[in-house]
Amino acid sequence: MSAVSGLLPTRSGSGFGRLGRVAGSPLLRLIVKRVVMAIPILFGVSVLTFWVLSLIPGDPARAMLGMNATDQQVEALRQQYGLDKSGPARYWDWLTGALHGDLGISMVSSQSMSSMLGARWAVTAELVVLSFIVSLGVAVPVALLAARWPGGLFDRVSMVCSMTGLAVANYVLALLLVLVFAVELGWLPAIGYVHISDGIGGNLKSMILPTLAMAIPLFCFYTRFLRGDIVDQMQGEDYVDTARAKGVGPWRVLWSHAFRNSSFGLITIVGLNIGTLVGGTVIIEQIFALPGLGQLLLQGVNTRDTVVVQDLVIIFAAIAVLANLLVDVLYAVLDPRIRYGSH
Amino acid sequence: MAVIDASSAQLESAVVAAGAKPRGRWRAWMRTWIPAGTVIFILAVCFLGPTVLPIPGATGGDVLESGQGPFSPGHLLGTDSNGNDVLSRLLSGGQASLLIGISVNVIGIVIGGTIGAVSAYVGGLFDTIVMRLLDVLIAFPSLVLTLAVAQSLGPSKRNTIFALAFFSVPAVARIARSSTLRLREMPFMQAAQLCGSPTWRILLRHVAPNVAPQLISFAALGMGIVIVTEGALSFLGLGIPAPAPSWGNMIFDGQQSMSATPLEVVWPSIALLVTVLAFNQLGENLRARWSGR
Repeated sequence: MSAVSGLLPTRSGSGFGRLGRVAGSPLLRLIVKRVVMAIPILFGVSVLTFWVLSLIPGDPARAMLGMNATDQQVEALRQQYGLDKSGPARYWDWLTGALHGDLGISMVSSQSMSSMLGARWAVTAELVVLSFIVSLGVAVPVALLAARWPGGLFDRVSMVCSMTGLAVANYVLALLLVLVFAVELGWLPAIGYVHISDGIGGNLKSMILPTLAMAIPLFCFYTRFLRGDIVDQMQGEDYVDTARAKGVGPWRVLWSHAFRNSSFGLITIVGLNIGTLVGGTVIIEQIFALPGLGQLLLQGVNTRDTVVVQDLVIIFAAIAVLANLLVDVLYAVLDPRIRYGSH
Repeated sequence: MAVIDASSAQLESAVVAAGAKPRGRWRAWMRTWIPAGTVIFILAVCFLGPTVLPIPGATGGDVLESGQGPFSPGHLLGTDSNGNDVLSRLLSGGQASLLIGISVNVIGIVIGGTIGAVSAYVGGLFDTIVMRLLDVLIAFPSLVLTLAVAQSLGPSKRNTIFALAFFSVPAVARIARSSTLRLREMPFMQAAQLCGSPTWRILLRHVAPNVAPQLISFAALGMGIVIVTEGALSFLGLGIPAPAPSWGNMIFDGQQSMSATPLEVVWPSIALLVTVLAFNQLGENLRARWSGR
């Protein structure tokens, strides 16, 4: 408790009174409530994943060893991976292991999951972070320009572009980018990943096309949302009229008043997107041969490595749950109405 | 497209409402009927085309005829690396995609709509439990969950439908729930309850017709999402198994020889783009119309 209370601003006082005030703060209560709500969801996610994967017909141990293996070999492997136990028992073993940081051992490569994840998470994280930076970095100025003159030329062009961009599947976009920039023009590598330790320039160069394939649909989505929301604010809200009546310039109303309000909606959809976006890395990493988590998941699916698939599906879902949790908390921290408990 | 999440689609605000001027009304009409006409056209071409038009079958082509360019005799769009007619594959692939899209959305509306409406109408503990279960399903990134389900069930058309329905149902259920909650406070609902109508009758005669427009416009948006995700699954080899065509596996096949024959990727990509664009526009305009914006 005291560790948490130290992080929160309190004006004065110490000891019991201060603790009481912090524990009673609406912000902390909200955060605790959200965290408590996320736990059963994570639990449900892992149970569902286990259940779905237990539906696979056939024996994974037999499938791995091939037709020539003796029954004893198969039985030994089944025991090694606990496949001879019942579903709930296996789930319990997995859960206790996972809570101690042990995610099991891959059935195909015999490496521990932790070491495989350790080598790969950074690639996926880099792809996702770069996609967010690029898409938001372009979407905000474009949406502001479009909302400044609704119905104007820039607005129309940007809306038609984003409408089309939203209808393009990311794998189609990826292939299109490869076709133009790698095959025809030869400016960028078509596939492959340059590790960041081999030079940041080469690393970024290998990430340009994958990042664009992820970022362009996102950019279209954010632009459409933000532009629509800002236009609604500019046309219907009293605080905008007040600001205008005070003589505040149009750009300033747009930026400091309308956009500031719209940014809350933007935060929400960014948070909702994180899960989907991380899921989308599966196909993008496959196309560009990036050694990330998504590629590992697909390898696991294709080699029927149940341990890999199960861990990664749970990790992907957990990222989505935690991202939503983070958004809820961020929302509470940023919104003064929630921060001070008045509604 | 894949970035659109079911729940975030709700958040997106509609385009500026058309004015009351006659020109505005004409525009609103165009906005609905251009995408609707495109959708009808695509459906007609994909489902009637292969029987009406004189084109060869989608599979079983001759390898000797492989790699022919567009406008070659007998093959309007040429042939692929297996000697199959590209136009024929495009239409059959479209049939598969559209059939899967329609099935998934029908399942979503029927099951998800029922769950959402009943859950909101009954309320209480039942509602809380149902919503928490749906939260679990919604937590999965759609492609990841479908991958896991597709691996468990094995690639086939029926299993692809099941896998995709797994995330269509909770999305629809949430929308049905939130609109039923709003309906519950309406005077006509109270009137129906006071008349002593049984619950099933209220749900069927009063809730369903009022929730339907929202679900239908969402389903049009959902068609785009489902078709793109089905393409992704087939692209990864977990959707419709070869040699049966789908736009996804055609794009994958084309990718193998992309530098030599880029058109093999381009045709199914254009088909996918136009179809998804038409469904998206239709969905957005239906929503804008029915929500009275």
